[in-house]
This record gives sequence, structure tokens and C-alpha cells, in this order.
Amino acid sequence: MTTTTSTDLTTQVFQVTISATPEAIWEAITKPEFTERYFHGARVEFTPARYRAYGPEGENWGDSPTLEFDPPRRLVHAWQSLYDPELAVEEASRVTWEIEPQGDGSCTLTVTHDQLEGAPKTAAAVSGGWMTILTGLKSLLETGEVRAS
Amino acid sequence: MVTYSRVVDDDDRVFKALADPTRRLLLDRLFERDGRTLTELESGLEMTRFGVMKHLRILEGAGLVVTRRAGREKHHYLNPVPVRLIHDRWIDKYTERRVSALADLKQELEAS
Repeated sequence: MTTTTSTDLTTQVFQVTISATPEAIWEAITKPEFTERYFHGARVEFTPARYRAYGPEGENWGDSPTLEFDPPRRLVHAWQSLYDPELAVEEASRVTWEIEPQGDGSCTLTVTHDQLEGAPKTAAAVSGGWMTILTGLKSLLETGEVRAS
Repeated sequence: MVTYSRVVDDDDRVFKALADPTRRLLLDRLFERDGRTLTELESGLEMTRFGVMKHLRILEGAGLVVTRRAGREKHHYLNPVPVRLIHDRWIDKYTERRVSALADLKQELEAS
């Protein structure tokens, strides 16, 4: 088996098509009762000012400023991986969620995690996580369930 | 509601996009270094700029490449999510059954 290591991870883009309304997708991103089902068990709370994430035991997994809050289309917030001490000390990066209706009842959801220049360990760690989160979110909205993986 | 034909359409586009060696090479190039411009992507390829653009459009249509503008430059990013969805939908399903069949066989042989 051959493995190749990706070198430039300072901007990462993840996109998925979801058969749901922009409002339903926005709700699933910003309400803890939804996020705990697909976001590694995290209860995520968004206000126009702050992004907070709590682990299953109430641990502080994320606490950063919200930078843009434009329901149901665009959400931008700072990111620090507080769930892992080694990553938590790295510089803050940025996460942008964009919801775009496709005119056929579905939307594309694009997550861009960038400004990762000062957080190389976070950059290397989050890629698989975003994939799991987006496929889980799609599954939750389209089938009502998230398959265990 | 998700219709089966819509799922097939999405899968179809990904499988078709992956069924070409040049397009797989372009994806590998983005995996090595993400966010490249068209000029960076076409260097070293035995192909016209137009040809590379055509392949990139098919990859974009399948959701495997997402473009972002930064000033006058257009950057291409590899989107791994469709590959994960194909993996979950097709590969996991069949390997799971094979693994469980082997596990059953082992149990049967050891029990007799």
C-alpha cells in the first residue's frame, strides 16, 4: 500500500449536497440537539456573537467569536480545538459555512476551514473530522438517522 | 425526500469523473498540494489548457473539486466528501458482508 502525505493544508474545503431547505440545514448546524447527533457528540451553540461547543460531559470543546451570522446562508466563526490540549495551544483559525440552494429542493453546504497557517497540527487533525461531520449531517437531514461509523 | 434517481445521479457523476486517468491525476495533484490555479495544474501535463479546463469542469460537476476566487486567481480545492459517500455507500457495505461471512465460517468450522 502506498501513502502520500498532503503538504499544504492551510485552506481546506469540504462540500456536500443535501436534500433539505436552507432553513433546515441552518437549524441543524446551529442547534445543540442536532449537532450532538453528528458533530462527534458535541453540543454546539451559536449566537451572533459566540460559538460554543460542549462535550458529552459538559467539557469545553470550543469557545470562539462568531464573525458573521447571516441565517440561513452564511456563518463564519473562529476555531480553536479546545478538545485536545496539544491542538488547543495553536493559533486560532477560521471556519466558514455557506448554504446555497440549488433550485431543485437541495442545497450545497460548503465548509471552508482556513487561516490554518498558525495551527499545523489542527490542520492535519481536522480533515477526517469534517468529512465525518458533513456526511453525518447529510444523513441526519435526509434520513433522520446518522449511521454509526 | 430523497429519491433514488437523485442518489444515482450524484453517484453516476462521481464514478464517471473518476473513470478517467487524467482526472484522477488532477485529483492526486490537488491532494499533494491543494488550492492550485489552472496554470499550476496544467504544468507538466501533455495536454492543452482547454483540455485541462474540460476535465476540471467534470470534476467540479461531480463535486470532487471546488473552486474559490482570490482576487484575479481561481484556486482549485479537492473535496473528499463525495469519495467518502461512495465509500460508505458501496465499499463498506460489501466488505462488511464478506468479513461477517468469514467470521460465520470460522465459527462454524470451530464449532464442528
